Amino acid sequence: MDDVIIAILRSATPLVYVTLAGVIAQRAGIWHLGLEGLMIAGACATILGTVLTGSIFSALLIAMVICIVASILFWFVVEKLKANQIIAGLGLTGLGLGGTTLAVESIFGSQAAVTAPSGLPRLGAMFGAYGTLSILVLLMPLFVFAVWVLLCRTRFGLRLSAAGEHPFAARSVGVNPGRMRLIALMIGGVLCALGGAELASGSLQFFSQNMTAGRGFMAFAAVIFGAGHPIGATFAALFFAIVGAIGIRAQLVFGERVPHDLLLALPYLATVFGIWLSARLRGGVKAVTGFGELRDS
Amino acid sequence: MSEEKQIVLECRDVSVRYGDVVALSGVSISFARGRIHAVVGQNGAGKTTFARAISGLVSPDTGEIRIDGRALPSGNVNQARQAGVELVHQSFALPPSFTVAEAMQFGAADGRIYSRRGLEKRWQTYLDSLNVNVKAGQRIRDLPVETLQSVEIARALVSDARLLILDEPTAVLSPEGAQKLFERIRHLKDVGVTVIVILHKIREVLAIADTVAVLRGGMLVEGPVECSGINAEKLAELIIGPAARPLEEDQKAALTGSLDTAHAHLAQSVDQAAVEPVLKLTAVSTRPDSDGPPLEDIDLVIRPGEILGLAGVEGNGQRTLVRAISALAETSEGKITIEGLDVTRASLQTRRAAGLRVIPFERNVEGLSLTSALWENWSARELLKRPLLSMVRPSELRQRCGTALDAWEVHYSNVTQHAGSLSGGNAQKVILSREMDEQARLIIAAQPTRGLDIGATAFVWDSLNRARARGCAILLISSDLDEIMDICDRVVVMLSGRVVGTFTPPYDLADIGAAMTGVSK
Amino acid sequence: MTESIVSVFRALIFIVIALALCGLIFSVAGYSAPDMFRAIIDGAFLRTGALQQALRWGLPLFITAAGVVISFRAGYFNIGAQGQFYIGAICAAFAADWLNGLPAFIVIPACFLAGMTGGALWAMWPGILRLRSGADEVITTLMGNFLAVIVLIYVTSGPLKDPSGSGQQASSRPLDAAYRISTSYGVSPTIIAIAVLVGIFMWLLVNRTAFGVLSGLAGRNATMVTWQGARLWNIGLASFIISGALAGLAGTVELMGPNGRLASGFLPAHGFTAILIALVANLSIVGTAIVALFFGGLASAALYLPVIAGLPSSAIDIINAAIALFITAKSNIVDRFLRNWRKRVWTT
Repeated sequence: MDDVIIAILRSATPLVYVTLAGVIAQRAGIWHLGLEGLMIAGACATILGTVLTGSIFSALLIAMVICIVASILFWFVVEKLKANQIIAGLGLTGLGLGGTTLAVESIFGSQAAVTAPSGLPRLGAMFGAYGTLSILVLLMPLFVFAVWVLLCRTRFGLRLSAAGEHPFAARSVGVNPGRMRLIALMIGGVLCALGGAELASGSLQFFSQNMTAGRGFMAFAAVIFGAGHPIGATFAALFFAIVGAIGIRAQLVFGERVPHDLLLALPYLATVFGIWLSARLRGGVKAVTGFGELRDS
Repeated sequence: MSEEKQIVLECRDVSVRYGDVVALSGVSISFARGRIHAVVGQNGAGKTTFARAISGLVSPDTGEIRIDGRALPSGNVNQARQAGVELVHQSFALPPSFTVAEAMQFGAADGRIYSRRGLEKRWQTYLDSLNVNVKAGQRIRDLPVETLQSVEIARALVSDARLLILDEPTAVLSPEGAQKLFERIRHLKDVGVTVIVILHKIREVLAIADTVAVLRGGMLVEGPVECSGINAEKLAELIIGPAARPLEEDQKAALTGSLDTAHAHLAQSVDQAAVEPVLKLTAVSTRPDSDGPPLEDIDLVIRPGEILGLAGVEGNGQRTLVRAISALAETSEGKITIEGLDVTRASLQTRRAAGLRVIPFERNVEGLSLTSALWENWSARELLKRPLLSMVRPSELRQRCGTALDAWEVHYSNVTQHAGSLSGGNAQKVILSREMDEQARLIIAAQPTRGLDIGATAFVWDSLNRARARGCAILLISSDLDEIMDICDRVVVMLSGRVVGTFTPPYDLADIGAAMTGVSK
Repeated sequence: MTESIVSVFRALIFIVIALALCGLIFSVAGYSAPDMFRAIIDGAFLRTGALQQALRWGLPLFITAAGVVISFRAGYFNIGAQGQFYIGAICAAFAADWLNGLPAFIVIPACFLAGMTGGALWAMWPGILRLRSGADEVITTLMGNFLAVIVLIYVTSGPLKDPSGSGQQASSRPLDAAYRISTSYGVSPTIIAIAVLVGIFMWLLVNRTAFGVLSGLAGRNATMVTWQGARLWNIGLASFIISGALAGLAGTVELMGPNGRLASGFLPAHGFTAILIALVANLSIVGTAIVALFFGGLASAALYLPVIAGLPSSAIDIINAAIALFITAKSNIVDRFLRNWRKRVWTT
């Protein structure tokens, strides 16, 4: 039983970090389809950073800086150049996926997976069987709590929500919605870096092309499924992670009798189900005008 | 010296441009401390821009604004709020998903972490002290319009405002609600707050204000002058200005809301009993949905050549009624007929074919596609009569659109320009040219003159009258009681999804107002 | 100057900006940015056979992009072109397999029918979820892409597996030569004819039918169109079906044309590139044709990036992504610059 829980935690933690990033962006009025690109950038930077500098902490720092810079670029394109968030987000993801492939090729000369000599610090022997989990797993609930407090129990969180939901109200109390979005995206960048780091470095320590496999989009779906609320979205992410872990588990248990590809498909099917269910329960996308455009007043 | 101390707000040569449009031009004005000042003007005169400029929300292109003698850095809301200036917006600046407590908090000065219960307790005390009857835990989107306004005012007073600006606060209120608001304003004056109220109607100015200033075409044409001893007619003249379109006396009175509380409306002769009604609702109820209160047991009849006015505070079912007639809300009980044809289960297309036309509430969201071309907007109704794959000739549609728009005196350069480039009045005319065609039999006009200047407003009234003369039946929904009393043959009042009163001319503003708030006489 | 010319210029400016960003990225990674530009210009435009290569890639892209235009114009962000492209190819491959042995004049149309139907169905399920329940089509169509990749893997290593295959990529048996509609060069009268027909029909649909005008209105303000009495269900479903069918058609063309077999993970960037084309062309059919040719050239240039600049061929994905990042920008800075040509531009 323990190893099932460990598998679920390993699978869920990266997803939850990125989901939190998505929640913060959503509050500010941004549909962030660039999460996938940021996540893989974080993963790649962590592994390459560890290989090149020898220190996981320097690597984490590099990953966070890269993700923050990418987030600022995204903000600039969407806020100042008024690009469509959805397409720009997909572009950001594409840059992340392509850029990481390029980085690996240019440094190592091939597209094969890169292994790092060390990874994230583990919890250690005193946690028993769970000692093999990284500290980011332990920190995950703390981050969820911190994001919840920030968004739902501070004036900053209220102002962020106003910036996204009713920018005019925000401006009428002196809040600059554009600056709020910048802050939201930068915080999100850090979280995505952590999520990517956990994915690449949390158990095994390697980076391979496209290893995120759509997790960034699942995180986005979790945000919608969870109605943009940090706790709800976290549970949605956990749900997706559990489905994914079940898939892998069933593979091991049932082996030949369950088609491998069906199990691969489970997380994506779960995501579709989640989106459909949340639309049924809460009334989904109404007729929209200017979909994908940021509202400024 | 003491003169200076008496002036709380001074504007010197303030101008604001939005692109090519001049909203304010060279406005120089000063307001005395501790008094209630009214600023009046028609729609488009620049009142809201003025309010936003002096509260820091909009940055003037030229000129200077001084609060208590100190210059205000332009376009900075935070500085303005620190100087004690607060603006209460016309359409409230309250995020719908927030609770009342949250709406208070997000403008407050302290940014500490709070607990939900603590927050609500703290703000409940504050709200009670202001006599606002609401629970701090209620969500903004669930509140009725009049409560919303009290909450909005409470929000503005959070930070110890010394100068409070109210932008058209009476637009959404019933006459009684307006009275309550005026009491609140007088109370504020008693505790030393200076109040600037943007108003529309002369009657309101005389009820509450100490001084009045008139804006027209972005310029200050008079004031501030003392209200005592003012000539209401002269004031009306200043507001209207040299109108391009000659106005009748009662139109002028309706536009400016002058003295007479009882309108002697001369109804067109409509022979009541004999004629088959165009619209008949019998015991109509609707299912509850997210867009407003459901209808309950509505009976309604409109005959050819009749304008029926629907009065009531916003949010009491008027929208639901329009949507029910337009097949956008589901009728759960009762029957709707158009010219005898039962359309209760029929689609909007069928109802339109039977002669239904709708001028919707929200011009820019429900009536037009702002980023689409004029000809596309105009042709929509016609194209929907054909099968989806039928061939069309855009050049022919463009030509016919041009002819129609010219006939309705729309100012445009090209039918391919997008609808958002037109002024409010012209955009509304485009909608009229589309909806008020020869085959129209039943026209629903929902807030058709909201936000329009005097010329456009008079134009809309004339068009409605012409349609009536042609034998159309018209349902006019408006929160402007002067408008309703001026052109309607009958008036019904809605409250909480029911019809609670029917009135025939001569109308009494007080009676209609009482019905709107549920006070029976 | 008309609005469409202004939007072409705006698109060009942002493409240049995107290329500049890529140049920067490649320089930082140690490659030569000037070489990158040289590779693109040489590979796309200057060398012999460039036009033919551009057509080989551009024709199928145009077909898919035309479908994207229909969908986006109607206001539905169907970004599942890649998945619909794959499913179309898979269905066509199955049809060819089942009907193997029958004469070509039966099999080829049957394959096209199967391909278009498959693509249409793969777009229809997210469409129905959106139209009936309001489920956001961005996520569902995106998930559809991932699912289609899995289906492709399954099919090429299972039911349609090539028994003699031994390479790194799982693939199906090659199609019988009689059923091919072009050689591996990819440009043939058949394919050109298909693309031209698609172009004509879609142009007529957008510019000369009631559907065209109404879906354009619905895409910009669905509320308004509802208040006029439109049935969004009809317009919406038609949009999803048409866009899916066209993507499936493109997949069929690729299968029966230059590819000749169904290979796992083939043309992984086709859908995204088609979406990009539709956006660069500002959702006009004529523009789409021109831009598709341009991106076709870019795709063929991708083969030259390793040769001339030493860049991995995946660098083309980075270039596409950078273009996507900037292309929908409606920057006031750029617009004010363009206003020198005395043109009115949109404000939001």
